Amino acid sequence: MVIPWRGFPLRDLINRLEPTSHAKYVEFTTLNDPGQMPGVRRRVLDWPYLEGLRLDEAMHPLTMLAVGLYGKELPNQNGAPLRLVVPWKYGFKSIKSIVKIRFVEKQPVTSWSASAPREYGFYANVNPQVDHPRWSQARERRIGEFRKRKTLMFNGYADQVASLYSGMDLRKYF
Amino acid sequence: MKRNRSLDKVIRPAVLLLCLMPLFVLVWNATTGNLSANPIDDITDTTGRWTLRLVMITLAVTPLRRITGWNGVIRVRRMLGLFTFFYGTLHFATYIWLDQFFGFEEIAKDVLKRPFITAGFLAFALMVPLAITSTRGWIKRLGGKRWQFLHRLVYISATGGVLHYLWLVKADTLFPLIYGCVLSFLLGHRLWTFLKPRLSSYREPYSAWRHLWLKESTGLDARAR
Repeated sequence: MVIPWRGFPLRDLINRLEPTSHAKYVEFTTLNDPGQMPGVRRRVLDWPYLEGLRLDEAMHPLTMLAVGLYGKELPNQNGAPLRLVVPWKYGFKSIKSIVKIRFVEKQPVTSWSASAPREYGFYANVNPQVDHPRWSQARERRIGEFRKRKTLMFNGYADQVASLYSGMDLRKYF
Repeated sequence: MKRNRSLDKVIRPAVLLLCLMPLFVLVWNATTGNLSANPIDDITDTTGRWTLRLVMITLAVTPLRRITGWNGVIRVRRMLGLFTFFYGTLHFATYIWLDQFFGFEEIAKDVLKRPFITAGFLAFALMVPLAITSTRGWIKRLGGKRWQFLHRLVYISATGGVLHYLWLVKADTLFPLIYGCVLSFLLGHRLWTFLKPRLSSYREPYSAWRHLWLKESTGLDARAR
């Protein structure tokens, strides 16, 4: 997806909060309000929704907290009032309607990787060479386009982010 | 039984119109811009869901007839079956054309490698011979017994359709499981009506021996009363 987000780099917030040297990961939690979000009444996942980033990923200038899109305020369904946007990762990493941010020492157990560890990993970097066990992730359809196009490594941001994962086996850390 | 022709005249056009409704609604939404940001997914979802619903409705005809004794319902079975095939074809065409854009190499890989596509492909492929042989001429050519046997392929096709749905959802398996329960009931009912007379006739030799034993040991003939 190519979306014109409005927001600010997450690292601006992190710098203000001055985490200690024990902070290795950042953990985010979504609001869990069945009144506003009828979908969470059924335990499809272990609510509240939880996501996480390695601190260096969170400090990357491309990682942002969004408050709007297409020049407007975030609508509820897009994660109002505050959501994460990590453009080189699959969409589920970009957690919506954040109500809690914690600095932690251990890798957070994220919702999807807890629900289906064989299918969803912690990193979830866009990678056309590593398929989801049940479907291919080699091609995608951009919003507004008819034909599918080839998915690019790190969603086209390889030059900016590949160095974060140098030496890592991306098949193992999917 | 006397055929109620006036009822026929109402029911068949009504079923025809009802079966066309999902297509009208889809075309209406597509032309008025009421589909989501991913219209191709919407078309795939809608046609797939109606294929499953219609195969369930088609499979409900025989149990409904047996339970209610309303034989007239059989007269819409072919139409329901052909509409199942119609929506299945739209669903398949959406995948081949709009989704894969005739990339037959990718499609072949999908069918072989992705269990949910294998199941869906099988479900669709099995419907083709059933649609072809749905005419009166083919029933005659094959003979009733053989035709009926061939058309039992729909049980496998429907099972493939439910598995196709179950294996493609990410975490929320509620709806695939509902379809699975409905299908289990519809097929279970058939199994029950098949087994019931056979099971009761099994008791016959047993009860004959029992009577003989009772007669020998007690001198009373329970049957002779």
